[in-house]
Amino acid sequence: MKNDTHNQRLLREANHAILQQYTRRHFLKDGAMGFGALALGSLFNSCGFNSSNNSNNLFDAANPLAPKPPMFPGKAKSVIYLHMAGAPSQLELFSFKPELAKLDGQDCPPSLLAGKKFAFIQGVPKMLGPQANFRQHGKSGLWLSDNLPHLSTVIDDIAILNAVTTDQFNHAPAQLLMHSGSPRLGRPSIGSWVTYGMGSENKNLPGFVVLTSGGNDPDAGKSVWGSGFLPSVYQGVQCRSVGDPVLFIKDPKGMSRDLRKASIDAINKVNQEQYEEYNDPEILSRIAQYEMAYKMQISVPEVMNINDEPQYIHEMYGTKPGEACFANNVLLARKLVEKGVRFVQLFDWGWDAHGDSAGNAVDIGLVNKCRKVDKPITALLLDLKQRGLLDETLVIWGSEFGRTPMMENREGKVMPFKGRDHHGAAFSMWMAGGGIKGGTTYGESDEIGYNIVSGKTEAFDIQATILNQLGFDHEKFTFESQGRPFRLTDVAGKVITDIIS
Amino acid sequence: MKLFISKKMIGVVSLLIIAAVLTLLALPNDKVDFNTQVKPILNKKCITCHGGVKQKAGFSLLFREEALGKTESGKPAIIPGHPEQSELIRRITAKDPDERMPYKHAPLDEEEINILQKWIKQGAQWGEHWAYIPVKNESVPDNSNSWIKNNIDQFVFSKLKEENLSPSKEAEKSTLLRRVSIDLTGLPASNNIANKFLQADNEKAYENLVDDLLASPTYGERWTSLWLDLSRYADTKGYEKDGNRNIWKYRDWLIRAFNEDKPYNDFLMEQLAGDLMPNPDDAKYIATSFHRNTMTNDEGGTDNEEFRTAAVLDRVNTTWSALMGTTFNCVQCHSHPYDPFKHDEYYKFLAFFNNSRDEDAESDYPLLRQFKSEDSTKLLQVMDWVKKNTNENEAKEYYLFLKTWQPTINSLNCDEINNGTVATVVNLRNNGSCRLKNAPLNDQKQLTFRYRSSYKNVKLSIHVDSINGPKLVSLPISDTKGWKIGIVPITPFSGRHTLYFKATCPTSAETNAITLEWFKFSDYFPGKGNPGYEMAQQQFVELLNASAETTPVMVENSADLFRPSNVFIRGNRTVMGKEVTPDVPHIMNPMPANAPKNRLGMAMWLTDKKNPLVARTMVNRLWEQLFGFGIAETLEDLGTQGISPTHKDLLDHLAWAFVNDHHWSIKKILKEIVLSATYRQDSKVTKELLQKDPYNKLYARGPRVRLSAEQIRDQALSVSNVLSDKMYGKSVMPFQPEGVWKSPYSSNTWKLSEGDDQYRRGIYTFWKRSAPYPSMATFDGGTREVCITRRIRTNTPLQALTILNDSSYLVMARYFAHRMNEWKEKEVSKKIAKGYQAMMYKSISENRLKALMDLYTTSFAKFKKDPLATNELLGPSEKESNAETASLVMVASALFNMDEWLNKN
Repeated sequence: MKNDTHNQRLLREANHAILQQYTRRHFLKDGAMGFGALALGSLFNSCGFNSSNNSNNLFDAANPLAPKPPMFPGKAKSVIYLHMAGAPSQLELFSFKPELAKLDGQDCPPSLLAGKKFAFIQGVPKMLGPQANFRQHGKSGLWLSDNLPHLSTVIDDIAILNAVTTDQFNHAPAQLLMHSGSPRLGRPSIGSWVTYGMGSENKNLPGFVVLTSGGNDPDAGKSVWGSGFLPSVYQGVQCRSVGDPVLFIKDPKGMSRDLRKASIDAINKVNQEQYEEYNDPEILSRIAQYEMAYKMQISVPEVMNINDEPQYIHEMYGTKPGEACFANNVLLARKLVEKGVRFVQLFDWGWDAHGDSAGNAVDIGLVNKCRKVDKPITALLLDLKQRGLLDETLVIWGSEFGRTPMMENREGKVMPFKGRDHHGAAFSMWMAGGGIKGGTTYGESDEIGYNIVSGKTEAFDIQATILNQLGFDHEKFTFESQGRPFRLTDVAGKVITDIIS
Repeated sequence: MKLFISKKMIGVVSLLIIAAVLTLLALPNDKVDFNTQVKPILNKKCITCHGGVKQKAGFSLLFREEALGKTESGKPAIIPGHPEQSELIRRITAKDPDERMPYKHAPLDEEEINILQKWIKQGAQWGEHWAYIPVKNESVPDNSNSWIKNNIDQFVFSKLKEENLSPSKEAEKSTLLRRVSIDLTGLPASNNIANKFLQADNEKAYENLVDDLLASPTYGERWTSLWLDLSRYADTKGYEKDGNRNIWKYRDWLIRAFNEDKPYNDFLMEQLAGDLMPNPDDAKYIATSFHRNTMTNDEGGTDNEEFRTAAVLDRVNTTWSALMGTTFNCVQCHSHPYDPFKHDEYYKFLAFFNNSRDEDAESDYPLLRQFKSEDSTKLLQVMDWVKKNTNENEAKEYYLFLKTWQPTINSLNCDEINNGTVATVVNLRNNGSCRLKNAPLNDQKQLTFRYRSSYKNVKLSIHVDSINGPKLVSLPISDTKGWKIGIVPITPFSGRHTLYFKATCPTSAETNAITLEWFKFSDYFPGKGNPGYEMAQQQFVELLNASAETTPVMVENSADLFRPSNVFIRGNRTVMGKEVTPDVPHIMNPMPANAPKNRLGMAMWLTDKKNPLVARTMVNRLWEQLFGFGIAETLEDLGTQGISPTHKDLLDHLAWAFVNDHHWSIKKILKEIVLSATYRQDSKVTKELLQKDPYNKLYARGPRVRLSAEQIRDQALSVSNVLSDKMYGKSVMPFQPEGVWKSPYSSNTWKLSEGDDQYRRGIYTFWKRSAPYPSMATFDGGTREVCITRRIRTNTPLQALTILNDSSYLVMARYFAHRMNEWKEKEVSKKIAKGYQAMMYKSISENRLKALMDLYTTSFAKFKKDPLATNELLGPSEKESNAETASLVMVASALFNMDEWLNKN
């Protein structure tokens, strides 16, 4: 296996030079309007180069989002990734720790503090018992807190990862690591990798859509859906439920649709004549982009409009048309994957329960946040299922890290509310659909949820699993940049086979 | 005849053949060229396992001494002069699949084996990759052809001849005018310059045009735009809060430097080490902001040393990728897999950058302080006093301290905090304390420190060696009404000590009693006892506290704050290897004899004529800006894995001319390129040529390239007659849709600039790293978190939507329509034709005019019936609101979307 990788790498390197030239432009096919490129893959097939699997050969400038087969048949066709920015407490949601309750209010033992670094905890903090009741649910009998009453009804569809771990304890770098495989800026996000590798099924919609709620972008900003060194066409397109759904998608006021049509016709006629003079195929590509832009102007607002959804759907999700809320975004996510969008990324901001205010208390703010997401997320799983889409849609729920079993004591002081500090050593995420085995847990943390005991799961493992479910070997899915091949999973990552059905 | 050949016989026959081949090889033969013949085989077939990342069996082919050294077997694999004794040859020709190399891969073919044998026979000489060999003065080919205008064309013509191609004729005047104007100034030429050229009918007209463009102030703005990408300039600090940063004076420094055609070696020297040059003025300090454009992480609870290190690594990587076209970052984790750089050489080079004062502080220290004019006089007076009362070196230190508050110890280095916090500064509550390790007291007599408190009864005491140790100083502090810099006498202690800071303030209860920002231990202000001392010291303190405009700059550590540098094992900062001292990679030119081993010396080395990469990288980049692709396409990688230059001789000719003939003048080398016949060619392409050379790598036609994000915006502003010609100053905020800025924990907002500032050139647009200006990002403008060595152009529907619908472009289309309206033409078609002429400098074709007239007619019919839509499209304006104008806006908008307008042709 290893040698195969080397062999492919050598081939890649050999072809790299030629390749980079071809990634700039595309070939012109004969025929009247005949744009649409000779796909690069076929070009290299003819050289005996394994085209579809690796390296920069997946980029076709003329049709960069054309659907492409993955390396092997994957179970999932699309991904909905729900990221709770700020880091929800695993101890009030998925990780049941009765022993921690017994330690509530006691000084944290020095053994837990020696050599550790926290974002805000200073000196010796007190332990904080779970601030929620836990019960077993479903056939699987998995433990879940009462903060998630709706999710408990679909527990047998999800696989909970209880030993996720990260070495980053600040939001922005931890989010980048989770989504791009590096805590530093500049690498492509997972959605960019996936749309680069697979394109998208709907050519009138962006292939990678990002929806945010909670009032802020995630801490790492728009770079967390950036395309890094991949061509910019693969960066996430932020769609908004208030204002223009995509920036500049709406015609200016006073311009009717038929006038827009007339103007695009005029532009394309002028450009067509320019093409006849210059023969530059790039001009044909531009003509095509204007046609596609026109179509997007119809299809994007259409898919972003949830007004016409039936009442029962609104009730199921708890949606409120016209608001920028998480529930609306979840429903939009379902609509988008239904329309063939490859990767939908949701960020909900406001989970950073330090205890510095009621809204940031693990027994108040966190409970309220759960109320806002529990119902729509459950509805999403049920809705995908009833449409027969759950099998081919991979849903991931998670965050950048978890929270300490100790109560935060910022500045060495008692906080006004019950809060927990950032904690990367052990936290929880879950996956569902897309070939994931429901009703399972993987990994375990110690009896107070401080360190992991078994089933260590890193961001790279989650990324490797997502790619695997889509049909990619994360070790072979690479892109050449700055003289070397890059992977989403850097030099790590293993597929979490225990949760795959 | 019986055809019976045993297996044994086959073996014998093969041996005979091999022997024959070896005999042949033994004959004197042509010399094998390492770079073009051997290195490609090694790179392709061997180096993955026997190179920088892996050295299987203890064998590496990266460097000659490694390749000839002993392997794990105890003997070398290559014996120069003796292929027959060399294990390498035995293994690549072995029959046993377990022995034969490349292991489990296809064997080398006969020719490859021959080359390696011959090469070892000839002594296994190493050759360097072309890019690491000093630039030589290439002899210019001697073609005689009337097309040829200068030396560049000689090189291009020779290559065309080889490929059986002929060059294209010169582009028509209008096309050339627009091409060269946009290339040199980023804008269409002003009416004066354009008309002068279009009306002139002499040989020198084009050269005069080029001179006019090079002399216009817009030239500096255009080339600054390129340098902002390379220097990863932004108006924010990056990461979570992505707070604002005032560093625009660096942008202005660039504009001035380009406009005055500062020689490129000086240009680089000042940016890399202006602060270390003799008696640096403000401009030299501001030049060093180049490497202060790294990101600063203000997120709560971050490890400042981690992000300080990240910034230093970025400075190393940017220096190499932007200025020397080398992927040096590979060497951060291991020796370069393909290029001759060793792992510890990365850290030796890093050591040049590891002693700047910045420490990821939220304040972005060190900052250059530029005083208001009244304080500038005070500065002269204070410095007069200082110079009179101390020696020259100390006077320099006082000047540095007044101008930058450096070198000082940031309080963020404190730890063991009780009743307080330390993040980017130290806060102490009542009975709060903290520790500062390793403070250089060195018998100094006073402490200067920056602090603030809003309480009247704070007591601050500093103890030596333990929390209750002897007092360094104890003092009362009263409400400072904001930040204050104070000077207090201290008890002298020799050497370095751990200090404990204690504060009491019973009334402050749970709030912060005092905030401490930085400390400095020093001797008394000079001239103690001389008449006028108090007055002078008073002025000195006033100046320290004076408000000033600030810009992040580089300042070097003083000796007592020196930071050692170590190798990071596998690039991991927390696993330190051996300590290293500053040095340059062995493969490169040595440090000049007079160069100190610091950042200044590094800058001298980098700008030395002997540096093989700097001039090549720059001329290659300039070429890319004009032709769309570099002569070597991978601007960021001239190494063995980069794309080989199509015209290496031309690249070297330009690099040589740049340094030796033009003395590093960017304007002169640009002029040489744009005056060439190669550049002036028509860019129309035949189907045959397209097939033969789809990417115009051979230059049988002129360049045709899409404009940059900034250029697309600037030229639309220009033709709409609203472009502000105001230069310099704070970045501006033109129209941006609501809701683009959503950074957490940030109160910064996009505040629409007023008046002309909405219509400034793109380089003045506020650049926020986590939320870039949308239309710039859509046209491939990058975020500048790290250095952008080149922009890769894409062509997407979002680009179409931006020019069609972005309100900025609608507003420009309105202005352009009004401009067309104001031309005294009766017929609409003439207005449109004139509008097109204003954009393209040529008359509109019949078909284009017809398409646009059709749009006008359709629009007019619509708007005539719909006054509401008419008003909406035209927006609030004092100008006439009628169907005619609204229809012209439709046409103006269509004109902005023409492919020929978005490209230079």
